[in-house]
Amino acid sequence: MQQIVPPYLLDRIAQAAAPRFPIAAEAARRALLREPPARLGIEPLPGLPSVLPDAPSAPDRRISDAEGREKLPGRLVRREGERATGDEAVDDAYDGLGDTHRMFERVFGRDSIDGAGMPLEATVHFGDKYDNAFWDGERMVFGDGDGEIFRGFTDSLSVIGHELAHGVTEHTAKLRYQGQSGALNEHVSDAFGALVEQYALGQDAEAASWLIGEGIFTDEVQGRALRSMIEPGTAYDDDVLGRDPQPGHLRDYIETDDDNGGVHLNSGIPNRAFALAATELGGFAWEHVGRIWYDVLTSGRLSPDEDFAGFAAETVRSARERFGPESREELAVMHGWSAVGIEVPPAG
Amino acid sequence: MDVIVSRSGGLAGTRLTWEVRVDEQPDPDEWYILIDEIPWGEPPPVPPEPDRFVYRIRCEPHEATLAERQLTGPWRQLVDRVQETTDPKRLGAPESRPPRPTR
Repeated sequence: MQQIVPPYLLDRIAQAAAPRFPIAAEAARRALLREPPARLGIEPLPGLPSVLPDAPSAPDRRISDAEGREKLPGRLVRREGERATGDEAVDDAYDGLGDTHRMFERVFGRDSIDGAGMPLEATVHFGDKYDNAFWDGERMVFGDGDGEIFRGFTDSLSVIGHELAHGVTEHTAKLRYQGQSGALNEHVSDAFGALVEQYALGQDAEAASWLIGEGIFTDEVQGRALRSMIEPGTAYDDDVLGRDPQPGHLRDYIETDDDNGGVHLNSGIPNRAFALAATELGGFAWEHVGRIWYDVLTSGRLSPDEDFAGFAAETVRSARERFGPESREELAVMHGWSAVGIEVPPAG
Repeated sequence: MDVIVSRSGGLAGTRLTWEVRVDEQPDPDEWYILIDEIPWGEPPPVPPEPDRFVYRIRCEPHEATLAERQLTGPWRQLVDRVQETTDPKRLGAPESRPPRPTR
């Protein structure tokens, strides 16, 4: 069954319109529930739509407050279904995890990080002026930022999606967090972080900013975001922060001992390949490149030490398997990699 | 003697460096004692955690790279002390090294 109103809009109406437009909210809720999801266990065939029928998403969120200390998990302050607390970081984390869960569930049929409904746990207000957010293997952790360069890290939906995606990678491809496989791990988090934002906003590939962490910098910083997937190296250029150091081509790959072998730097290379393939195809990125990348992540064919070339070859193979040999999707993915200096040999 | 702490990685992938000239400090002996206590070469092992900071501590002839979670005991004391003593320098560009022959 086709719906003309996209699921994210229905969902927004169902959730937000209730006080003023109770009839519209009820109608949207019914539309959301109308079609039982036919998802798990069915191998999608090439040519069939890759986005799954709409289904309500039921996350199990638990937000804790570290109250400015570097101690985890902190005090549990908001559980699933509980009302907003009025603490912006708590409520932003809660909403962002909901948006991320919804995209993974509705688009890819994956219920939570482990695919089996595991609770989404996050801690906010970690540390004193802590300039970071991370995934510690069990939970997402967000600092408040120093207030001079960085604002709170829950201000950006792509950052929340990025952290949750680290959990998904840990439960699937287990890409080792060092060198090229580490840069791929980072890339996967950026890719799904961007998709979560695009899905929540209903943006197609052309309308999307392809920025990671928009809104993370204070107004003092000359910069738009932490990274640009489509134009790596252009996200910021600031007196204090310096210039965005990300390469966007394999010839500029940075060999370094810092940052686990430059995982946050060299991720620019696959990021650009992904964004270029998405914009070549147009339309909603989660329906094509997102689907292909998710297939690769969950294929069981990636090695934990996968390098860029091996990963690229797997994305082309998955594009072919899902969308057909010499499909637009396969070609766009090959073009994306080629533009960043990674040639995938033709199938044979 | 210089102690140089650099912090790289993190979600933003930026690098900060703190540098302290121990002999110019009012309490150089305390610094030397602390540096002596550090178990150089044997930081406690932990798996890397995505987006966490990585610390590199240099203090001739010693050098160690630690994940944020490995900064405990005397390591933490030294890094805290360095960070309290001086302001960081922010360096956008990463510290590069010659490519390894395998890649």
